[in-house]
Amino acid sequence: MSLLEIRNVSKIYGELKALDNINLKVEDGEWLAIMGPSGSGKSTMMNIIGCMDKPSMGEVLLDGKDISKESEKNLTSIRRDKIGLIFQQFHLVSYMSAVENVMLSQYYHSMPDEKEALEALERVGLKERAKHLPSQLSGGEQQRVCVARALINHPEIILADEPTGNLDEANENIVIDIFRQLHKEGTTLIVVTHDPEVGEVAERMIRLEHGRIISDVKNENFRG
Amino acid sequence: MNNKRTKMFLKMITSSLIRRRSRMIIALLAIVVGATILSGLVTIYYDVPRQMGAQFRNYGANMIFTASGEEPLTQENVEKGISYIPKNELVGYTPYRYETVRINEQPVLVAGTDIKGTEATSPYWYINGNRPTANGQVLVGKNVANLLGVKVGSTVEIHYYDNEAEKSDDDIDLGTTMFVTGILETGSSEEDYLYMSLADLAEITEKVGSYNVVEISVSTSGANLEKYIERIDSNVEGVKARLIKRVTSSEGAVLTKLQSLVFIVTAVILVLTMICVATTMTAVIAERRKEIGLRKALGASNSSIVGEFMGEGLLLGGIGGILGSVLGFVFAEIVSVNVFSSSITFRPLILVISVVVSVIVTGAACLIPIKSATEIDPALILKGE
Amino acid sequence: MFFFRMIKGAYIRQWKKMLIIAVTIALGASIATAMLNVMLDVGDKINQELKAYGANITVVSKSASVLNNLYEIEDDGSVEVDEMIKENDVGKLKTIFWAFNITDFAPTVETSVTVGGEKHKVVGTWFNHTLKLVTGETVITGVTNLRSWWEIKSGRWIDEQASENLDVAMIGKSFAEKQNLKVGDKIDVSGRVVDGETKTVSLKVVGIFEAGDESDDGIYAPLEKVQYLSGTENYVQKIEVSALTTPDNELALKAAKDVNSLSIAEYELWYCTAYVSSICYQIQEAIPYTVASAFRQIAESEGDILDKTQLLMTLITIMSMIGAALGISNLVTSSVMERSGEIGLMKAVGAKNSQIIILILTEIFITAIIGAVGGYFMGFGFAQIIGHTVFGSSIEMNGMVAFIVAVIILAVTLVGSFPAIRLMLRLRPSEVLHGR
Repeated sequence: MSLLEIRNVSKIYGELKALDNINLKVEDGEWLAIMGPSGSGKSTMMNIIGCMDKPSMGEVLLDGKDISKESEKNLTSIRRDKIGLIFQQFHLVSYMSAVENVMLSQYYHSMPDEKEALEALERVGLKERAKHLPSQLSGGEQQRVCVARALINHPEIILADEPTGNLDEANENIVIDIFRQLHKEGTTLIVVTHDPEVGEVAERMIRLEHGRIISDVKNENFRG
Repeated sequence: MNNKRTKMFLKMITSSLIRRRSRMIIALLAIVVGATILSGLVTIYYDVPRQMGAQFRNYGANMIFTASGEEPLTQENVEKGISYIPKNELVGYTPYRYETVRINEQPVLVAGTDIKGTEATSPYWYINGNRPTANGQVLVGKNVANLLGVKVGSTVEIHYYDNEAEKSDDDIDLGTTMFVTGILETGSSEEDYLYMSLADLAEITEKVGSYNVVEISVSTSGANLEKYIERIDSNVEGVKARLIKRVTSSEGAVLTKLQSLVFIVTAVILVLTMICVATTMTAVIAERRKEIGLRKALGASNSSIVGEFMGEGLLLGGIGGILGSVLGFVFAEIVSVNVFSSSITFRPLILVISVVVSVIVTGAACLIPIKSATEIDPALILKGE
Repeated sequence: MFFFRMIKGAYIRQWKKMLIIAVTIALGASIATAMLNVMLDVGDKINQELKAYGANITVVSKSASVLNNLYEIEDDGSVEVDEMIKENDVGKLKTIFWAFNITDFAPTVETSVTVGGEKHKVVGTWFNHTLKLVTGETVITGVTNLRSWWEIKSGRWIDEQASENLDVAMIGKSFAEKQNLKVGDKIDVSGRVVDGETKTVSLKVVGIFEAGDESDDGIYAPLEKVQYLSGTENYVQKIEVSALTTPDNELALKAAKDVNSLSIAEYELWYCTAYVSSICYQIQEAIPYTVASAFRQIAESEGDILDKTQLLMTLITIMSMIGAALGISNLVTSSVMERSGEIGLMKAVGAKNSQIIILILTEIFITAIIGAVGGYFMGFGFAQIIGHTVFGSSIEMNGMVAFIVAVIILAVTLVGSFPAIRLMLRLRPSEVLHGR
């Protein structure tokens, strides 16, 4: 059984078909990149996988369970338990320190635990910056805090939306290295991006255009 | 274990308040101003009758004692009667004893009284010169002064005959010479009297003791006065207490108007201030829609978001309420000292109420924008700029 | 012009925020309008209320005021006409400079009469008399208003308007008890003996009152009846006047001592201010053979209470205005701060600071003007609500208030925008755009 299975999913906004009969399976531990130009349906796909939106048609199976018809409230709890989100704009709470931002995620999930949060920050190499406020961190550091926040609750899927979009090359590499590390540890990663460099480091890459999957390839040169 | 969640909850709230200082100060300021107005005006509202009541005592006495039977009033039963009026409400009382004397062979009414006491019971007296301070001095009503042709600094020779009929030319009466310290102007019948101390009058008439009338000035409502009168009449023998209706009923009318004026002004201002607090809180919360979206994306349920933001709002309301209540009391005190030259009564209940109201108003003001913010779709907020 | 297009855009897209600001400013403006109007009018209103205390000026003839025979009054009820005021002169009161401030007045004649073999006092006066003035106006005046503290125990006030038979009287409570009289009973009153004939009238009791003073032992009857009883037709002894006055100050005290000590400028000022002393002075000018004196118990206390009330209202007004001002500037500040992103963007595309300030201020001021105009009319309503609930009459609107409110709102809005603008000018576009 696949960890995530999307069956005949369409999302329609009025006249516009943002997603048009998509079928996709993601296995446990896989590192998938979703690529495509803007307007291709990437964001819609990410929202549906991230339990922030529901498809107009079709089924979304997470852990074998159909989540496409769940209420908003249940979606919230599924998102909390199974998905770690990383955004292009980072979205850290400005008045909370790095470690507190990580703990915030624990707080909503189960129980805040500063020790665990610090360990997560250590994994992304930010242990000594734990007490800093987001405004005192560089863009790369902020994004690493987001990564730490995303993985703190051991989600089944880490879903990253243009995670390097606001980063320079050096920071981009740091984030990609962290992803490699996570992949090695068996975390399922779904990265939505339009940046080929980010897409090409993934294990598998699908390409969207006009709401359809136009290619689905395994990366030959993947170095896990 | 739950400890940790609570700790995190508190930490989130406090760090939001502390680290988002400038925004929070704006919100706090609004609440403080609201609470200041609330506690200040309500304190003034409750204190106005007392303070204004004291002002109304400028009208002088509002109660009099007269003898109820044949016997004149004695010092003893007057004091007994006075003891039925609470000390803190008693502004003053002045006994009067009237006699007719002759000055320059003209009959003149003399009032023996506690001259110093008239400052409290007849504060409106306008005296050209001074009140007598020692024995042997008199205060002369304007009409009497015109009649006798005396001025401040003159002396008058007072003759007293116990029984006018027995007066004969054989009596060699040298009279008592007294010094005029002031001429009294009131515009009414007081101008027809000559005032001297009870001791002087006793000496001239060679009689001590009884009073004709006692004027009493009490700082309280008409209803209370009626109560005291009833008690005095039924408990003190020989004393008949009466209201000076002209003073009491008019005073009641004006006081009621004044209090309802302050009341309605307070109500209008309060409603407007609460709306101001509410709009400010709405603006403050609206600013944080993005953060609310993020928390939702991280898996926060609507109820926990409402809880956190409300916690913040209520804490803010509490702090603002406490600060404002204290400031409001200070404000009321300033008003009281400036307007009435007296301190305001401290009413702890008003402080408590204004803190509670601040918390409730702030909470209510936050609830609507927070509720509407939880409706937002996290995906939309987090994607867009 | 693009500038206006931007402003228009801001309004269309942010109408909710602009609405909140406009509403807050309107609320502030309405507080200011209502409070200022009430404050400016409260003096007059309370003054009207204080009239419940009755007359504050008494007018008597000069010769009577000397009282040279006060204590030698013969007990036959005689009153000397040469010590009295002509009834025709009473209306002259309404011709003085401060005529408008004279709210009520009543001439009285008091005489001793015999009722049931006992001597009693009877006071003749106007109750609600219609008086035709030389100016052609008519006024209705009398003791019904001047004795508002009287409690009518039974019956009613004498009503001169009801064109009833004027052979009526009101009697004091103690008198009624002693004589065992009820409303509807007739009393025979004998007055002065003229030419061997005793003047007698029979009066019907229409009301029994309790005044709480010596009038409780007496009789009140229409003026002409008592004039007949005392043989003083067309003359009155005393006029009680109730006038709205301005509290005394240094000048008034100086004038009260000696009018001649005033300089011309002081005299003008004193004469044209409604001090009780200047009103008395003007009454004496109008009826030269009289002396008008202030009833100090009333005049003095009224002034005091008036002063206190006005001061109280002024302080409450100041407080509420500070509250309103803070509320407005608060909201303006936070709403401008909220737009830091937009402003950062403008800076990034090359807007100059001055351009940004002008844009923001224009937006805020348009909102403020709309809010202030709305608020002014709301405040007008509030003031009327206060006036009608508390005093049962409208609050006079003062034109000056509109001006003061406009100045306050503009100043507050400007001051409220200031910290936010300063903050924005320090914004670096890169920081804003990268969401730090």
